[in-house]
Amino acid sequence: MKLFNPIKTGAVFAMLFTSGMMITDASALTVYTAGPGSLAKSLATGYEKQTGVKVNIFQATTGKVMARLEAEQANPQADVLISASWDTAEELQQRGWLLPYQSNNAAKVPAEFKTDHYVAQGISALGIVWNTKSGTPEPKEWADLTTDAFKDRVTTPDPSLSGASLDLLIGLQNSMGDRAWQLFARLKDNGMAIAGPNAQALTPVLQGAKAAVFGAVDYVTYASIQQGESVKVIFPASGTVVAPRPMMILKSSQHAADAQAFIDYVLSEEGQKAVADAWLMPARTDVGAQRPLISDLNILPAQAGGSADRGSVLQRFAALFSKS
Amino acid sequence: MLLVALPLLFILLQAIFPHLSAGSLDGAFSALPALLSDPELPALLGGTLSVGLSVALFSALLGVPLGILRGLFTLPLARTWDLLMLVPFFTPPYIAALSWTLALQHNGYLMQLGGPDLNDLLFSRTGIALVMTLNIFPVVYFAVSRSLLASGQRLATVARVHGATPLRAFRHVTLPMLLPALAAGVLLAFTLAIEEYGVPAALGSRAGVVMLTTGIEQRLADWPIDLPGSSLLSVLLVAVALAAFALQRKLVGNKEVTSITGKPADVSSCGLGVWRGPALVLFTLVALLVVALPAGSMLLSALLSTLSGGLQWSNLTLRHFAALFALHGDALGALSTSLGLALASSLIAGLLGFLAAWLVVMQRIRGAVWIDGLSLLPASLPGIVVGVGLILLWNQPFWPVTPYNSWGILLLSYCCLLLPWPVRYVGSALRQLGGNLEPAARVHGASVWLALRHVVLPLVFPSLLASMLMVFAIASRELVTSLLLAPAGTQTVSVFIWRQFEQGSVGQGMAMATVAIVSGLGLMLSALALMQRRAAAESRRF
Repeated sequence: MKLFNPIKTGAVFAMLFTSGMMITDASALTVYTAGPGSLAKSLATGYEKQTGVKVNIFQATTGKVMARLEAEQANPQADVLISASWDTAEELQQRGWLLPYQSNNAAKVPAEFKTDHYVAQGISALGIVWNTKSGTPEPKEWADLTTDAFKDRVTTPDPSLSGASLDLLIGLQNSMGDRAWQLFARLKDNGMAIAGPNAQALTPVLQGAKAAVFGAVDYVTYASIQQGESVKVIFPASGTVVAPRPMMILKSSQHAADAQAFIDYVLSEEGQKAVADAWLMPARTDVGAQRPLISDLNILPAQAGGSADRGSVLQRFAALFSKS
Repeated sequence: MLLVALPLLFILLQAIFPHLSAGSLDGAFSALPALLSDPELPALLGGTLSVGLSVALFSALLGVPLGILRGLFTLPLARTWDLLMLVPFFTPPYIAALSWTLALQHNGYLMQLGGPDLNDLLFSRTGIALVMTLNIFPVVYFAVSRSLLASGQRLATVARVHGATPLRAFRHVTLPMLLPALAAGVLLAFTLAIEEYGVPAALGSRAGVVMLTTGIEQRLADWPIDLPGSSLLSVLLVAVALAAFALQRKLVGNKEVTSITGKPADVSSCGLGVWRGPALVLFTLVALLVVALPAGSMLLSALLSTLSGGLQWSNLTLRHFAALFALHGDALGALSTSLGLALASSLIAGLLGFLAAWLVVMQRIRGAVWIDGLSLLPASLPGIVVGVGLILLWNQPFWPVTPYNSWGILLLSYCCLLLPWPVRYVGSALRQLGGNLEPAARVHGASVWLALRHVVLPLVFPSLLASMLMVFAIASRELVTSLLLAPAGTQTVSVFIWRQFEQGSVGQGMAMATVAIVSGLGLMLSALALMQRRAAAESRRF
């Protein structure tokens, strides 16, 4: 009998330990968000300070957020959704899941980054990330990664896992046509490795196992540069694509007014400064950032039309790279 | 058993009725032809089977000799080796895979220290199987060594007295007694390997290896989400695991081995003699490979200010650790959440697992096979499927009370995922108990519960405790269901680390992993020490 006392003590201990987490506030605003957790946190804190409404954040990759949203269809939990892929917003709107809302603070957001139902929180761009200590010449163009200097030394995020990476493929195809596919074929011949989602493509470049990422999301890299990593983000002059991050209110929301206030806050000057601090481009043109903005980049058209087109690009890319 | 069966039922329903999550039963079975014609299917199935079989084989090759050495002979520092073998369970597989990557890839730590470039070995099918084996083989080691320690050497000694050579006694007495535990251990290694997500996700794409788990994950993380497709693949994965389970039952299921009869057992083991040195060298090498190398790589990554700075004295820093404590208490909150949940799930899973194993082995109730099979199922399910199943189940509007969106759902998912451990471990220990012990207690007037508590439980307690420690270890770092189920606003250790990796701060993620592993181990060690002190005090009283 004595033997089990520690266990009993442990059980009581565990219950005390965890009981604090049990209370979920019914009046709180629930925000599902992809992307930088530090940004989600600072936005939530700022909003709480301003309105007194508590914010519960669920943060994961766009895919995981969407999986949770879809699985919760029968009993939706989220009030606000911030995704990293414009497509997801379009799809949800077509399903009729979104509550239309135009924030007054969206006046300074360019027309291509807002609709009646959703608006960009911030914008990221895709570029080449290059390790300055890798002993390779600094690439200036996408095609530079097909040279001998980069033989077996390039990674790229898997376009089936990274929506932004797929946007880049589509953008290149739209502007270059078949030459884009020749570029991908030469990259493959040069030994480019496909490596999971964004961070997995970046880590080998940081350590020097690889020299460059073809098509990396920029804000993650800017954050690493701030930490002292010797890498550089290069936007080819021939053009790249941007990935606006749509925010939207779900029709099922029980807290529509709070949700609208949250969107207003994110689009306020204070909120947009927090977005800029996370190394994203602010959605509002009148808020500055310490990084190249859209006006500094040559933007390729990314949206080519229906999702069938995305599917076929993805399939063609997968087929190209599965041939050994 | 509802704990396990209900989410599974909902996954099966989802697989059959693609529109289930919208509350509609239209289009039954419409997803099936699409799956069967999927050109990726053979690769998914082949990758899963070959990695699973290789891991089972490698685990047996590594775990059986070490387990026998530990179980049969007086091994110096025995407890230390046990402890070291537990470390892999505290190391989340995705951390281990990343640690190995940082250590072995081109220009990794090994190369920076002047070692060879093992990049191509790491990013291959063999590399994946090896990395997984180093994480998984301790299940075989513990199954084999615990079983030998529990059964003692008495029967083998009897054989020796009657003239058998040591080898013959081993082959005809020890080995058959070992078989149930060995088979259970290897089966567990196989199922753990086929359900593992972290390692194939981290290494697979660069190695060109796909597995069912990554396929399921992709169907869930790929837009648009394919819930029916992933449910079907999960059903397929479960089928593979069940086939392995059936095979195991067929091979060893009906052999009765009785070694614990209630008579005082001889627990003395033989010395190693001249083999003492080589055995120690072997254990040291394995410990280096399993613990020191990945842990070293992890610690280095946590201490390096920048990855691109490389191994330089000037590049060492404690800022990643400092940052953990500066993050508005996020890191510490995640740590206490994880440890609390792990403790609670080890207690619940231990209790339920013990009861399930006892019902199956000792009581032989009707449907025992079903309980046994059901309790094994979660081990063959990828966490993400259990997660989705739990959401589908508990997020229906008709429940008056639901654990969904509170920490309760995490507890539920951990218990569901980890129940197989106590069932396997206690089950194999129970199979070695003589069938007359419990009846003897009953004859002397003890109730079922009294007999259970004072006779059966103490005898299988070492196995139960070992399995509970493992549940604790795994629950404290479980990733995939935590990612999916953690209520908005709650973080666990693994979720925290994952977020750090996603945002590009590998260093901070590794710092958190280090803190979590050290505190988890510390907690476990103090619990063990406490129990030993009590046990010692108890035995002094007699």
